[in-house]
Amino acid sequence: MRPRLGVDLAATFNLVGGLVKYLSLAPLIPAAVATGYGESPAPFLLATAIGFFCGWTMERLSYGKKQVGMREGFLVVSLTWLLAAMVGALPYWLTAEAQFASPVDSYFEAMSGFTTTGATIVTDIEALPHGLAMWRQLTQWFGGMGIIVLALAVLPRLRVGGRQLLETELPGPEIQEMTLRIRETAQRLWLLYIALTALMIVVLSVIAWTGLDATMSFYEAVAHALTTLPTGGFSTRARSLEEFGAASQWAIAFFMVVAGANFALLYRAFFRRQPRVFVRDEEFRLYLVLLMLGAALLAVELLSEGVLRGEAAVRHSVVNAVSVMTTTGYASADFNEWPLLAAIVIVALMFVGGSAGSTSGSVKVVRHLLLGRILRRELDQTVHPEVVARIHFNRRAVDERIVRAVSSFVLLYVGVFAAGTLLLVMDAARVDSGIGLLDAVAVSASALGNVGPALGVAGPMGSYETFSSLSKGLLIVLMWIGRLEIIPVAIILTRGYWRV
Amino acid sequence: MKIVVIGAGQVGSTVVEALHDEHDITVIDLDEERLSALAERFDAAVLVGNGASRRILEEAGIRKAGLLIACTSRDEINIIASIFSKRISPETKAVVRTTDEEYLDIWHERELDVELVVSSERETALAVSQLIGVPAARQTDVFAEGQVQIVEFDVDSGDRLRQQAGRPLAEAALQAADQGEEHVIGLPLRQAQIPPNSKVASIIRGDTIVVPRGDEAIEPGDRIIIIGSPEAAQAWSRIIAPTESRVEDVVIYGAGRTGLATARVLVEQGIRVRIVEANRERANKAAEEVPTARVFCASGMDEEFIERERINKAQAAVFAMRDDAKNHYAATLVKLHGVPFTIAIVHDARSVEVFERAGIDVALNPRLITAEEIVRFAHDPRTQQVTMLEGDRFEILDITVRPESKLLGTPFRDLPQTGALIGAIVREGKAVFPHGDDVLLPGDRVIVFTESKRVPIVEQAL
Repeated sequence: MRPRLGVDLAATFNLVGGLVKYLSLAPLIPAAVATGYGESPAPFLLATAIGFFCGWTMERLSYGKKQVGMREGFLVVSLTWLLAAMVGALPYWLTAEAQFASPVDSYFEAMSGFTTTGATIVTDIEALPHGLAMWRQLTQWFGGMGIIVLALAVLPRLRVGGRQLLETELPGPEIQEMTLRIRETAQRLWLLYIALTALMIVVLSVIAWTGLDATMSFYEAVAHALTTLPTGGFSTRARSLEEFGAASQWAIAFFMVVAGANFALLYRAFFRRQPRVFVRDEEFRLYLVLLMLGAALLAVELLSEGVLRGEAAVRHSVVNAVSVMTTTGYASADFNEWPLLAAIVIVALMFVGGSAGSTSGSVKVVRHLLLGRILRRELDQTVHPEVVARIHFNRRAVDERIVRAVSSFVLLYVGVFAAGTLLLVMDAARVDSGIGLLDAVAVSASALGNVGPALGVAGPMGSYETFSSLSKGLLIVLMWIGRLEIIPVAIILTRGYWRV
Repeated sequence: MKIVVIGAGQVGSTVVEALHDEHDITVIDLDEERLSALAERFDAAVLVGNGASRRILEEAGIRKAGLLIACTSRDEINIIASIFSKRISPETKAVVRTTDEEYLDIWHERELDVELVVSSERETALAVSQLIGVPAARQTDVFAEGQVQIVEFDVDSGDRLRQQAGRPLAEAALQAADQGEEHVIGLPLRQAQIPPNSKVASIIRGDTIVVPRGDEAIEPGDRIIIIGSPEAAQAWSRIIAPTESRVEDVVIYGAGRTGLATARVLVEQGIRVRIVEANRERANKAAEEVPTARVFCASGMDEEFIERERINKAQAAVFAMRDDAKNHYAATLVKLHGVPFTIAIVHDARSVEVFERAGIDVALNPRLITAEEIVRFAHDPRTQQVTMLEGDRFEILDITVRPESKLLGTPFRDLPQTGALIGAIVREGKAVFPHGDDVLLPGDRVIVFTESKRVPIVEQAL
């Protein structure tokens, strides 16, 4: 007898197939770029064909009038991201490019792209053809605001039952209930995302044309805008932002700060002209304070150790603190070579993250804020057992279910991070790669937080190429779990999820 | 004047008792027994029926009435009755009693077309806050949901303090007082360090009123009236009377509507409030609605709790539970543990005396307070007048600025300095204490301090 299953697999595959089908159209953009630069568009066209066929087949095989419910949502989102990265890996693998010889490497690069991590296995980025380089940037841009959010915005079939999908994919706890229709929410988010990307392209282009930065060009402006707003961190240069001038670095730092802010606030500030929402929002205030604190700590360390001085010390502190905390992952200097204390500040910032409702990864500022309040209440109630207190955020009481969700999220996050670190260390010992404990801590935190660069060989100017395939597999899983904020993946791993 | 009263409960009968001598009263209620009891005691016509019915209102003679008092215990009945009354007879003034503070806010926003809305909870809370209030104040009153406070002080000449010189505490206080005098008292106002978010509305020197222009000074022996935020009122109190002990810690038993309203008003004044509530649901609601108060889910009656949570350290305790007997017991218990000042909210009017005889410092009956407020209005139903100070020499008005007012857009610095003063603006529900560059916007609600004789001029200008 077949075991009774509580999850509608046919409906799940049907929807995932449909999503993959549409997503496989994305490589047509780099195909155009490749043609424009006189390169062969064949790998991209082939990737589209394969992806479209697979998606279409999946959809066909599970054909029926089945609607996914809230329960299937977790599986849909988890599977979509795994498969999306596979589609994303096809162009790398199909190109005759020696750096992507192994399928694991291609998959790693694609997963790092879609999850906006920014970790790369490429050692010589400048050698990549333009089409492929643009595809790397584009995967981050699509992944940043979310594949499913995009689908919700444009596909009519997701109108019903999409709320769960949206909430599962959007980063951060849902403290304020969304009152808008989901389609409208998704469209607004994408509209703002596109507008901000365009604005950044304009700003960087102006810097290029006015000659403020000789390295900057229109191509670089587009490439970096595509990976700044999703807090991705892929660069067209192996030495990341180091090769750009101070003006570009400051401009990119500014847009990283924007990308790490809550998009709902940005929407209200720019489209509704209510700039005061920033002042009123407790999370945004703490976000800025933490950014400044991180940058100040780095600056003090760099100046006192005499590593850098003057404007350069301030600039590199700000750019790198912002880059790591917002989980973007650019670097304007090789912080791998900075003193140990600075390295530890960098690792600590990896656990902060940006705001809820931004494109950033990691724990996120609001959870730190709430966790602090939760712990304070817990301690208070130990001394005063009768005290009844609610956790408030932005002057409103937070639902106790969200309070519990925040605590369990942080617990899971730390647990997965620790497990990841241990496994990396064990694998490093197995192949004798010489990756130490601090490096493993940084790599695990960086992958789970979707940051990108870490310390050691995986430092900002290095690459993940030297890691064993097993470790790369582990990091792919960490990036995937981190992007989906652990809970959906954890849920589908429970027995209760599958049973009737 | 003919008055129609809807509701013959405690509020209704108290109102009738106070007004039946001078006025021609008709009382409407559903309960025949209550009506006949009322008719026996007072000279009033009675009518059995639903007050929210047009027919009954017509029958009661609403067309000839000068005033409708809707004071049943149900908000919706009161509001519907007032709406019908306004439709049938627009000249008849209407007073609505409510238990929901939201209706009060709606009325303040001029969205409810009646002359007065009285909330028992709010009135009780204000009565409590006036009892605990601002030390050294002769009289206080709050506006805009407690965000604006008006306080009247007598400025001491400082001699009283100097007599106590030699004692260490008095020594320190004297220093503080000297500082106050150095920075505020005796200095021209434009140089004085006046607490932020406050204004001197008037200086009364003997029989004359001094308009507080920048070159005037507060002298010892003056009586001054201050408009400002609750914090500013406390700051003034520290300047005027540094030795008076301030109530900084209050315990409230019971998180019902009255308890919560009291907590809100006290918290606004910067007082530390602890709420004790046995019902978990209500305790949760209190923690949600008054985040700055500390809420305990406990009966508050057991000694272990009182000891452990140092309830006895509170300088005052308010008992706002539903059951009078419980309030009585808890108040006595807390008093035994050393809380110096106890205020009980009493639901049965006859119990007030019992409580005060038994050693509870003050017993307040919300219905009596409400009735008093209604009677005060019935005696002098001038619209928008909120409070009088110094007998009836000054009035404080709470007015929404008309869109066609000539004062709109004029910076405060250029407004004429007369006996009237805009002490605060309530803009989008928040109190703003205007500075020289601020301007009035349409829709602003202003708290105006003025001499009574200038009221018509002020009302016209705004």
